[in-house]
Amino acid sequence: MAGLVQDIDLMQPDLPILRYWRDRGKKAFEQQGVPTVKTEAWRYTKPRDLNSDDFVLSTSLPIITCSQQEEQIPFPCYPIIFENGIFYSQAKEIPSGLKVMPLVDALFQKIEIQEKLGSNLEVETHPFAALNTFYLKQGVYIQVESNVELDRPIVLINHSSVGPENLFFNLHNVIVLDKGAKAEIVEYYNYNGALKSRYFANIVNEIFLAPCAELQHYKMQNEAFKANHVAYNCVEVEKEATYKAFCLQRGANIGRNETRVLLKDKGAKTTVNAAYMMNGWATLDTTTDVEHLSEETYSSQLIKGVVGGEARGVFQGKIHIAPHAVKTQGSQLHKALLLSDTAEIDVKPELEIFADDVKCSHGAASGELDEEQLFYMQSRGIDREEAKQILIDAYLDDVISQIENENVKTWIKSFL
Amino acid sequence: MSNVLLEIENLYAKVGDKEIIKDFNLTINEGEVHAIMGPNGAGKSTLSYVLAGKPGYEVTSGSIKFKGRNLLALSTEERAREGLFLCMQYPVEIPGVPTATFLKHAVNAQRKHQKLPELDTMEFIKILREEGKKLGLDNEMIKRFVNVGFSGGEKKRLETLQMSILKPSLSILDEADSGLDIDALKVVAEGVNALRDGKRSLLVITHYQRLLNYIVPDFVHVFADGHIVKSGDKNLALELEEKGYAEFMREK
Ligand SMILES: Nc1ncnc2c1ncn2[C@@H]1O[C@H](COP(=O)(O)OP(=O)(O)O)[C@@H](O)[C@H]1O
Ligand SMILES: [Mg+2]
Repeated sequence: MAGLVQDIDLMQPDLPILRYWRDRGKKAFEQQGVPTVKTEAWRYTKPRDLNSDDFVLSTSLPIITCSQQEEQIPFPCYPIIFENGIFYSQAKEIPSGLKVMPLVDALFQKIEIQEKLGSNLEVETHPFAALNTFYLKQGVYIQVESNVELDRPIVLINHSSVGPENLFFNLHNVIVLDKGAKAEIVEYYNYNGALKSRYFANIVNEIFLAPCAELQHYKMQNEAFKANHVAYNCVEVEKEATYKAFCLQRGANIGRNETRVLLKDKGAKTTVNAAYMMNGWATLDTTTDVEHLSEETYSSQLIKGVVGGEARGVFQGKIHIAPHAVKTQGSQLHKALLLSDTAEIDVKPELEIFADDVKCSHGAASGELDEEQLFYMQSRGIDREEAKQILIDAYLDDVISQIENENVKTWIKSFL
Repeated sequence: MSNVLLEIENLYAKVGDKEIIKDFNLTINEGEVHAIMGPNGAGKSTLSYVLAGKPGYEVTSGSIKFKGRNLLALSTEERAREGLFLCMQYPVEIPGVPTATFLKHAVNAQRKHQKLPELDTMEFIKILREEGKKLGLDNEMIKRFVNVGFSGGEKKRLETLQMSILKPSLSILDEADSGLDIDALKVVAEGVNALRDGKRSLLVITHYQRLLNYIVPDFVHVFADGHIVKSGDKNLALELEEKGYAEFMREK
C-alpha cells in the first residue's frame, strides 16, 4: 500500500452516485497526482509531505473520543462532531427548517443533492478535491429551508487525535440554503494531544445559496504543527444571495484554504476574508477565485497575515469578470506583517476582466513591527513580547472586526 | 536628609557613531524638581532616551544609578516599572490600538510588578475618566487609537494623563510645552504639579523658560556640548532667557 490511493472497502459501493464520484475522483487524482513545483496552482505551497507513503486512511473512531467537545465551543450552537474525520455525533435538538444528516444518508434519500453534488468542483483540475471524492463517504449534508433563519450557528468540529499511525481523512460537506434562508456555519479543526502529530485533513465543502439566502461561513484552522490541512470551498451564489466567509489559519505545517465563489446572478454578493498567523516552518496558503458571472455582482476580499520564524504566507487571489458582467465591483487586498528576516510571503493576484464598466481593485503590502511603537509601549512598562502581541492584534483588527457574530468574534480572538 | 533618587556620573553616550553626551553628571534627590535647559541639538532628548533605554542610544562609559540600582542593566520596561517615566517630545502614534487598551496594559504591567492584583475593566475605566477629566481629555478621546489624529496639545495631555495614572518616582518631561497654547500649558502643568508630593521628582527638559513659570524648579542646569555647563536656582532660567545660550557657552 503506497501513497494516498489506498485499496479500502468504503462500503455502499452499490449506490450509483457514490460509485460514479469515487471512480471519477480516482481517475482524476491518478492523472494529476500530488502537486509538484510544476503545478501552477501549487507553485508556492509545496505539499511535499503528502508524497510520503506512510499515511493510513482513517476508518474508525479513535478508541478514546473527546466527548467534551460540545463544551469547547463557548457559545450556543448546533454542534456536529467528527473525530479523525469520522462522524461522531450531532446536536440532539435541531430546529424545524434545518436538516442535518450524514452525507451518505442524504445521497440515499434525496434527489436534490444528487444533482448538486460535485457540480462545481472541477476535480480534473483540483487534485485534492479529486482525492476527496475518490474516498467520498464522510461528511454531512446540511439544508436550511426557505426563509428559515437559524437562531445560532451550526458548528462543524473535527478533532484529530494521535494514534500509532499517521492518519489521513477526507471530509465532504454539502450545505444548501434554500430561498431567503439565513444561517451561520463555523468550522473548527482542532487536535488533541501531541503537537507533533502528523496527519492529513482533506476537506471539501460544497455550498449552494439559493436566491436571497445569506450564509456566514467562519473557519478556525488550529491543526497540530506537523499536520497537513487542505480545504476547498466551492460556493454557488444565486440572485441577491450573500456569502460571507472568514477563515483564520493558526496551525498546520501545510495549511491551505481555497475558496471558489461563483456569483451566478444579479445582486449576488460575497466577502471572502481571511487571516493567518504562524511561526516555525509552516506554509499557510489562502487561495481565492471569485467569479463574477453576472452583471451587478459584488465581491470584496481582505486577507491579513502575520508571519514569523521561517514560515511562509501564500496568497493567490483571482477575480474573474465575465464578458457580460457589467456594473460589477470586485476588490482584493492582502497585507502581511513579517516578524523575522527569514519569514516570507508570496502573493499572486490575478485579474481577468472581460467586461466594461466594472470597478475592480487589488493591492498588496507588507511591513514589519514598528520599533518606535514598541519602544513607546515598553517605556510605559509593557513587556516587549506583550507589546508585539498588542501590535499584532491591532494589525489583524480590521479583518477580525468584520466578523458579524459577536460570540464567534470573541472566540476567534482567543486564538490570536 | 533626602534620599538620592538618580545619580548620573561621568556619562558618555553616542547615537550611531556620534558622541552626544560627554562627561555628564547629575544627581537628583527625592522630591526635587530639576530643569535642564539648552539650545536645540544640544542632546537633551538624547539624554532622555538614554535614561529610558531606547535601542540605538549607546552608553560608552559612566554610570547611572536609580534608587541605588544600576539603571543601565535594566530593560526599558523594567525601568518604567521601577518608576521612571519619559514624557516624550514626540509621542508615538499607534493605529489600531485604542488608547484605553494601551493604558490598561501599562497600568497592569506596573501593578503586576508591584504584586498588586490587575485592575478589572470597570475599575480601570473609572480611574481613567476621573484623571482624564482633570486634563480635559474626554471619553471619546480615550476610545480613539493612541495619539492618532491627536493635536499637539492633546498628545501632551495624554502623556500627562499617563503620568497621573502611573505615578512615577521620576518623570522626565522632554519639551512638555512644545505645541501648547497657554491654556493647555496650564492644564498640563497642573497635572504635573499634582504629582509633586515631596517624594516624587521631576526632570524638566525645555528649550524655553516659559514652562518653568508653571512648573517651578528647585534647580536649573544649562546643558551644552553634551554636559552641564552651569547650575543654579530658578533665577538662572530667567537669566538664560535674557542673555541667550551663547553667553553661557562662551563662559565655558
Ligand atoms: N537617531 C539619531 N541618529 C543620528 N543623530 C541623531 C539621532 N538623534 C539625534 N541625533 C543628533 O544628536 C544631536 C542631539 O539631538 P537631540 O538629543 O534631539 O537634541 P535636543 O533634544 O537637545 O534638541 C543632534 O545633533 C541630532 O542631530
Ligand atoms: Mg529634543
